[in-house]
Amino acid sequence: MVFLQQLQQIPASQLAMDGSEPKSYQQLRAKAEQIRQHYPQLAGQAIALHYTGLAEFISALLAFDGWCSALYLLPETDISIADEVYVWPADGSKAPTAAVAASSPEAVLESVQETVQQTVWYLATSGTTGTPKWIAHSFTGLSRAIKCKAAQQPLRWGLCYQPYRFAGLQVLLQSVLSGACLVDASQGDAGARIQVLQQYQVNALSATPSLWRQLLMTNQLSAVPLQQLTLGGEIADQPLLTQLQQLFPSARLLHIYASTEAGVGFAVSDGKAGFPAAWLNQSHSQVQLRINAEQHLCIKPPVIPLEQTAVTVDQHGFIDTTDVVELREARVLFLGRASGAINVGGNKVHPEQVEQVLLQHDAVLQAKVYGKASSVLGQLVVADIAVAPDTDTKALQADLMQLCFKQLQRHQIPTRYYWLSQLSNSNTGKLSRKESNV
Amino acid sequence: MELHSHIRQTLQQVAVLANCQLIEPITDDTVLLESGLDSLGFAMLVAQLEEELGMDPFSEMQIAVYPRTLGEFIAIYQQAADQTAG
Repeated sequence: MVFLQQLQQIPASQLAMDGSEPKSYQQLRAKAEQIRQHYPQLAGQAIALHYTGLAEFISALLAFDGWCSALYLLPETDISIADEVYVWPADGSKAPTAAVAASSPEAVLESVQETVQQTVWYLATSGTTGTPKWIAHSFTGLSRAIKCKAAQQPLRWGLCYQPYRFAGLQVLLQSVLSGACLVDASQGDAGARIQVLQQYQVNALSATPSLWRQLLMTNQLSAVPLQQLTLGGEIADQPLLTQLQQLFPSARLLHIYASTEAGVGFAVSDGKAGFPAAWLNQSHSQVQLRINAEQHLCIKPPVIPLEQTAVTVDQHGFIDTTDVVELREARVLFLGRASGAINVGGNKVHPEQVEQVLLQHDAVLQAKVYGKASSVLGQLVVADIAVAPDTDTKALQADLMQLCFKQLQRHQIPTRYYWLSQLSNSNTGKLSRKESNV
Repeated sequence: MELHSHIRQTLQQVAVLANCQLIEPITDDTVLLESGLDSLGFAMLVAQLEEELGMDPFSEMQIAVYPRTLGEFIAIYQQAADQTAG
């Protein structure tokens, strides 16, 4: 069933917005039907969707799912897209124009309902070289983890993630499909977000562990009447889980493990870091889990994601998540990414991309970038730099910071440099990851 | 109050490194999230202090406590230092 049809089955409810008029789901549905009527030529086409605001975004998703062949959710970063893809909302040469001499709205609506089709959703992920790539999903796959029990309805969800990314889309679908209220808290610093959460009395919130720590730092989180707390996008550590549980003793506390590549995830609700070892080798939340010889978590989802070229699937249908785990006291604990990818407060950093920037400087002989454990942001980017013995490292550090500020995003910039005469080859990425994550 | 001035000094150094413009004046009552230091800058401050002082009270705490002001932040370090000494 497509998104629009599912929405028709839920009662109308308010969608609160940050700084603008709240919209009901009925209004959003009407807007979606209007889009289909005004732009009949988009039926069966591929659409790339820009995020311009929560209500517009949801209306567009409702309009295009089940009606267009493909739906690309454009990230804020540059990503290549085929020429024949229409960009929405309309913004120039590639924009669709409204049909001038459209037939009667009823006739269009009829033809609209006949053209129900399976839409392939594309979400951007950062590739191993730092170049974003598109991962294909089906709406069924994206909404598999959504809980639509009656108890979900009184919830007022705060949206802390960008809704065009996997995690944000999950929160969006959870609220819309369960008929819950959705409040946009995806902008601003922790202080600004707390204001929004308090203003709209948000009672369900999903955020990265790093953002939870920042919200705790405002000392005002306890004023938000939370009944459901979800942590995702980073490894959830025990002290943070314990702190949140003590602050909201009667709330439901979940931490989510999700893999964009595998297109699935699962939730852990016992308030403990990692997940129970008993889940290994058995089916949980419709997925099977196991640890391979390299200590990577492998997942067998009920459905293999569409067009998966970037992932390794073994002969039993298990996808290698390349997340390194360890078994300790009947728990499976996450240690980090086997690829060496660094997770700074939920933002993925690929060491190779940072190394390329550092190596542009003539004085840098070798560069090795890796993650260092941080009690604030999970991990920080640090760099080992090999330099000639007489190098003025203080001046070099200033130069490198300049280079990085120009070419990299803030979370990708090394926060600490270690100066060495040469980098040891035996100092493998795997070793430093283990050191930095335990 | 050696620790106190050390942390204040490190804060200034980290702000330069992190390209953050601190507000004036910085006092013990300054709210950390409003000091001009962003979350990355704050993480760098904790990491830098760990290298210099040999401790990160935030990673050692069984229950995470999050300071709101600079004074609270320094008090957490002071407490951790006292415990180590005691």
